[in-house]
Amino acid sequence: MACLHDHSCEDHDCSSDWSLYKHIDLDKVSALNEATTGTVKSVFKAWEHRLNTSGEHLESNEGDPELLVFIPFTSDVKIKSISIVGGADGTSPSKMRAFINRDGIDFSDAQSMQAIQEWDLAENMQGVLEYQTRYSKFQSVGNITLHFPDNFGGDTTKIHYIGLKGEATQLKRDVVATIVYELMPNPSDHKTRAETGGGFSHVE
Amino acid sequence: MVLEATMICIDNSEWMRNGDYSPSRFQAQADAVNLICGAKTQSNPENTVGVLIMAGKGVRVLVTPTSDLGKILACMHGLEVGGEMNLAAGIQVAQLALKHRQNKKQQQRIIVFAGSPVKHEKKMLEMIGRKLKKNSVALDIVNFGEDDEEKTEKLESLLAAVNNNDTSHIVHVPAGPNALSDVLISTPIFTGDGEGGSGFAAAAAAAAAGGVSGYDFGVDPNLDPELALALRVSMEEERARQEAAAKKAAEDTSKQGGEQQAGSQEASSQDATMTERASASTSEAENKTTDLMDDENALLQQALAMSMDEPAVGHDVKDTDMSEASVDDPELALALQLSVADSTKDQASQSEVLADQSAVSDILASLPGVDLNDPSIKDLLASMQNKSELQKKNDDKSSNEEKK
Repeated sequence: MACLHDHSCEDHDCSSDWSLYKHIDLDKVSALNEATTGTVKSVFKAWEHRLNTSGEHLESNEGDPELLVFIPFTSDVKIKSISIVGGADGTSPSKMRAFINRDGIDFSDAQSMQAIQEWDLAENMQGVLEYQTRYSKFQSVGNITLHFPDNFGGDTTKIHYIGLKGEATQLKRDVVATIVYELMPNPSDHKTRAETGGGFSHVE
Repeated sequence: MVLEATMICIDNSEWMRNGDYSPSRFQAQADAVNLICGAKTQSNPENTVGVLIMAGKGVRVLVTPTSDLGKILACMHGLEVGGEMNLAAGIQVAQLALKHRQNKKQQQRIIVFAGSPVKHEKKMLEMIGRKLKKNSVALDIVNFGEDDEEKTEKLESLLAAVNNNDTSHIVHVPAGPNALSDVLISTPIFTGDGEGGSGFAAAAAAAAAGGVSGYDFGVDPNLDPELALALRVSMEEERARQEAAAKKAAEDTSKQGGEQQAGSQEASSQDATMTERASASTSEAENKTTDLMDDENALLQQALAMSMDEPAVGHDVKDTDMSEASVDDPELALALQLSVADSTKDQASQSEVLADQSAVSDILASLPGVDLNDPSIKDLLASMQNKSELQKKNDDKSSNEEKK
C-alpha cells in the first residue's frame, strides 16, 4: 500500500501524524442530514482503523447526498491536511468545502457562504489520499465545518473516516471571560497612574 | 430537560370561529398555546418559545423565541380571526425564525395547529418535511377543527417526511366534551420525547384526569413535596431494614449448623476455623458472640461430664474449652488439668498424673535452673516414681485389708 509520502509506510508510523482526532470535542460533534443521529462520531478514529468499514459510519439520508459535519476542538489546532475515506459504488463525496470558526452553519448558510477552501475529492478507497490545506488560513482553528455537497452518483453519501493532520496548540480561542458593561461610565471611577496633578486621565 | 427552541404556528383563519370546541376553536387553541409555553419553559429554564400566526393578512411572527412567558401571553391577547391559513409559508417562516435563534445549542422544534383545510399539494408538504428533517428540525402537528380525509392524509405524509427517530408527532383531536388542552396534556407534545414528562405535565395530567391514583403514596408531589418525600424515604428505610433482617436470619441459621460441627472437631481444626471466622470481614461481632456462647455450652457440658466421672473426655476438648492459649502450651494444659483433677478427682488419679513421668519431666524442664541430666534430679524423679508405686501398693493393700 503506497502512501502519498515519499517513503513506504512500513518504515514510518503514519498514525502519529494523524492524531488530531484526539483533540476533537467528540460530545459536541454534530452533523446535518445524517440518516442515524450520532453516527458522525464514529468517523473520527485512529489512522490504523481508517479502512475498518465494519463498524458504524456516517451516511446521509436517502436520495440526498449532502452532508454537513461540525467538528469542534478542545483547543486551537493547526490543520495541515485532511483525509477522507468514503463509501463504495459512488457514495464517496466528490467535493468538500470547509468553514473555520463558525457556529451553527446549516445548509442554506453553507450554500450561500464563501468557504475558506474547497477541494475536489477523488474516490479514496485505500485511504492514501490527503488533501492539503492553505496552512496560513488554518492556523488557529477552534472548530471546523465540512460541507460535502455532492457525491459520485450514489443514492446516499457514506463516509467511513475523516482524518486531520496537524498540530495542536494548548491554547483556547480568545473567549472574553468577564466584560463589565457600564450603563453610565464615569471617568473618575477609572483613575490611572497619571491621575494626580491635573491633566486628563485617559480610560484605556 | 431537552434544551429546545420552539415556534408555535397558530391558525387564526375564519374556520376558527366555530364553536364545536368550547368556547370557540380559537379560544381552545389559545388555551393550549398558553399551556404549551408554560410546560416548555418549566421543563428547562433556558428553553425559548415563539409564536406566529398563519392566517389573517399573512404569515406574521408575533414574538420571536423568548423565555419570557409574559410576552407570549400578552401577544395572544387581541388577536383577530380571519383569512385563510397558509401552512407551507407558516412552517417555512417558523424554520427561518428558529434558524436565527440566539442560542445555537438549542434543538429546533415547530408546533403547528392545523384547524382549517390544507390547500397545498401533498408533494409540496413532503418537500417541506424533508427540508426540515435535513436541517434537524422536529415538527409536532395538532390536527383539530375541520376533519376531512384529505387533510389527515396530507398531514400524516408531512409527518412521515419530517420524522427522524420519533422526534416528531401528530395528534388528532376530535371535537367533543374534552377541552383541546386537556387532550394535548397526555400526548408526547407535552411529555417530551420519551423522557417521562416534566413534573408540570404529570401534575396537570393527573389534575385533569381527576384521579389521585397515579401517585405512590396518595400524595401529589407537586402539592406537598415534603410529605411525599418523607413518605418515600421512610418506605425505603423500612424496605432496607427488612432486607437486612432477612439476610441476618439466613446467615444465623447457616452459622448455627456450622458452629456445632466445629465444636466437636479437634483443637487444630477448631483453631483453623476460628481464625477463618476471625478473618471474615462482615458480621465478625456476631461470630464472636456465637463463638462465646458455644464455648460456654461446651464448658457446661464438660463440667457435667466430669461430675459424672467420665474419664473418656479427651485432652483436646479440655484444652480448648479452658482458654484459647491452652492449645499452644502443653505445660499449662497439664497444670490446668492438674488443678481440675484436684478439685474433682480423688488421690488415685492425682498420683497417676504424677506418675506420668514424661509430663513431670516436661514440667521440670520448663523450670529455670533445672537440668534433667543432673543426677540429683534424676534421683528425685526415681524416688517419686517409687513413692507412687509404693502408694499404689499401699492402697491395694488397704483395700485388700478392707475386703478382708
